[in-house]
Amino acid sequence: MWKDLVDLLFQAYEQFSLLPLFIEIALAFIVIAIVATIVAYGVIMYKRYRSYVHEKRVAFISPIIEELITEQVLLNENLGKDVLIEEIEFDQAALANKVYKKPFVRQILIDTLIQYRKNFRGEVGDLLRKLYIDMDLQKDSFAKMKSMRWERKIKAVVELTQMDISISDVTILPLTNSTNPSLRAAARNAYIQLSKNEPFKFFDIATEPLLPWDQLEMFKIITTTKDIAIPNFSRWVSYSSNKSVVSFCLKLIAHYDQQSAIPAVMELLNNKDHYFRADAIACLGKLSAEVAEEKMVRIYNHQPLNCQIEILKAMGSIASGKYLEFLKTEFLYSSNFDIRMNAARAIIRHNTQHSRLLVEELMEMTHEENQLIIKHCLNPLIKY
Amino acid sequence: MSNILVIEDDDIMLKAIRNILRKDGHEVLTAKDGKEAFEKLDNEQYDVVITDLMMPYANGLEVVSRLRANTEKRHVGIIVCSSVGNEETITEAFRLGADDYLKKPIMAGELMIRIRKLLANRSSNLKLVTKKK
Repeated sequence: MWKDLVDLLFQAYEQFSLLPLFIEIALAFIVIAIVATIVAYGVIMYKRYRSYVHEKRVAFISPIIEELITEQVLLNENLGKDVLIEEIEFDQAALANKVYKKPFVRQILIDTLIQYRKNFRGEVGDLLRKLYIDMDLQKDSFAKMKSMRWERKIKAVVELTQMDISISDVTILPLTNSTNPSLRAAARNAYIQLSKNEPFKFFDIATEPLLPWDQLEMFKIITTTKDIAIPNFSRWVSYSSNKSVVSFCLKLIAHYDQQSAIPAVMELLNNKDHYFRADAIACLGKLSAEVAEEKMVRIYNHQPLNCQIEILKAMGSIASGKYLEFLKTEFLYSSNFDIRMNAARAIIRHNTQHSRLLVEELMEMTHEENQLIIKHCLNPLIKY
Repeated sequence: MSNILVIEDDDIMLKAIRNILRKDGHEVLTAKDGKEAFEKLDNEQYDVVITDLMMPYANGLEVVSRLRANTEKRHVGIIVCSSVGNEETITEAFRLGADDYLKKPIMAGELMIRIRKLLANRSSNLKLVTKKK
C-alpha cells in the first residue's frame, strides 16, 4: 500500500514538473492555501474545544467553590464576634475535599477568592485571605512565579498582590526591571502595594523606562494604597540615571508638595535635556517655589519654546508679583502666540490689585489680537 | 423580617450579599440588571433596595430616580453599592434620593448595620406620618 502511495506521488511530481512554470506556481499557492486553511481551522477547533471543556468544568465546580466560601467565610459564625481572624478555624473536612487537590480546581478557587476580595474588605476580606493561605493556594501562586512564561508570572504576581502575600525582594526586584513591559509594570505595581517599608526601592535599580501608561497606573496605586510609606523623592531626582524615573519623581514631588525637594529640583534647571528642564520648571511652579523665580527669569532667554512656556506657567502659579514687568514685556513684544497667551494668563493668575490694574492698562494700550487673548484668559470657563 | 431587593450584575457579589442578608434574617430577592429590577419593583413592595450603579439596560441612578418618582414606592430605603467612588457620582446618587452610598470593596458588617439603621429610621418616619394623619 505504501509502495502504491509513493508511486502515485512520484507520478504526480513527474506530471507536475512537466507543467508550465506559472501553472506550477499557481498550484503551489493553492496547496499552501489549502494546508494553511486546514491548520487554521484545526487550531480554532482545538481552542474552541478547550474553552468548551473549561467552561463545562467551571460550571461544574463553581457552585462547589461558592458553597465553600459561603459556608466557611460569608456565613462564618465567628464574624462580628470580636474573634481575631487568625484564631478562626475553618471546617477541615470541607477544606480536605479531594476535589480541591486538582490543579484546575485550585486555579478556579484562586480566581473566585480574588473576585470576592475585590468586593469585600474588613473581616470578610481578611477571612478570604486566611482561606487562601490555609488551603496552601499561595504555593500554587509561587509555583507560577517560577514559570518561564511571562503571562503566568504576571498572573502569579497579581494573585499574590490581591491576597496581600509578601514576595521576597530576591524574587520580585528582578521582575521590576524585566525587559517585558507588561511583566515589569505588574511587578512594580505589586512591589509598591506589598512593600511596607520601602515601596519605591525598585527605583534604585530601574534601568528600563517607566512608560507613560505605567506611570499613570503607578500613580493611581500610590495615591490609593493605604499606609504607604512616602519617601522624599528628591533622592532619585538627584541620583537616578533613569530619565523616566526622574520625570515620574518630579510629578510625585509636586503631588505630595515636598517643599524640601526644591533645591534638588532646581539643580535640574542646569540639565542639558530640555524636556527634563521643562518637567522641573513645571514641578517648581506646582510647588510655588518663589526661590526659583529669579533663576527661571535669568535663564528664560536661553530656553527653547517648551521651557519658556513652562516658565511663564510656573510664574503664574508662584504669583509673587515680583516679575509682573517681565510678564508684561513678554506679552507685549513676543511674536509667538503661545508665549503671549501664557504671559497673559500668568499675569491674570496673580489676581492682586496691581495685576488687575496691569490687565486694564494692557487692554487699553495693546492691539486687537492681544485684547482678544486677554479676554480669552479672563474667561473662567475656558481653561486652555 | 424585612423585604430587600438586591440589584447587581456581578453574579458573585449578588450571591454573596444575598447570603449575608439572609443570614441576618431578611427576605432577599435579586435582580441581575435594570430591566429585571424594574419588573420586580413593579410587582412587589420592598423595604430596602440595594443597587449597583453600572448595570445593563438601566443603571443604578435610573433605578433610584424611578423609585423616588413613584408616589407609592418613594419611601423605600435605597443603598447604592458601587465601585465608582468619584464625588460627582456620589453626590448625584444622593441628589436623586439615595439614602446611603457604599463604595466597593464593602464591609459586610457595615452593610448590615446601615440596613438596620435605615429600617429603624424608616419605621420611625412611618409612625410619624401615621400620627399626623
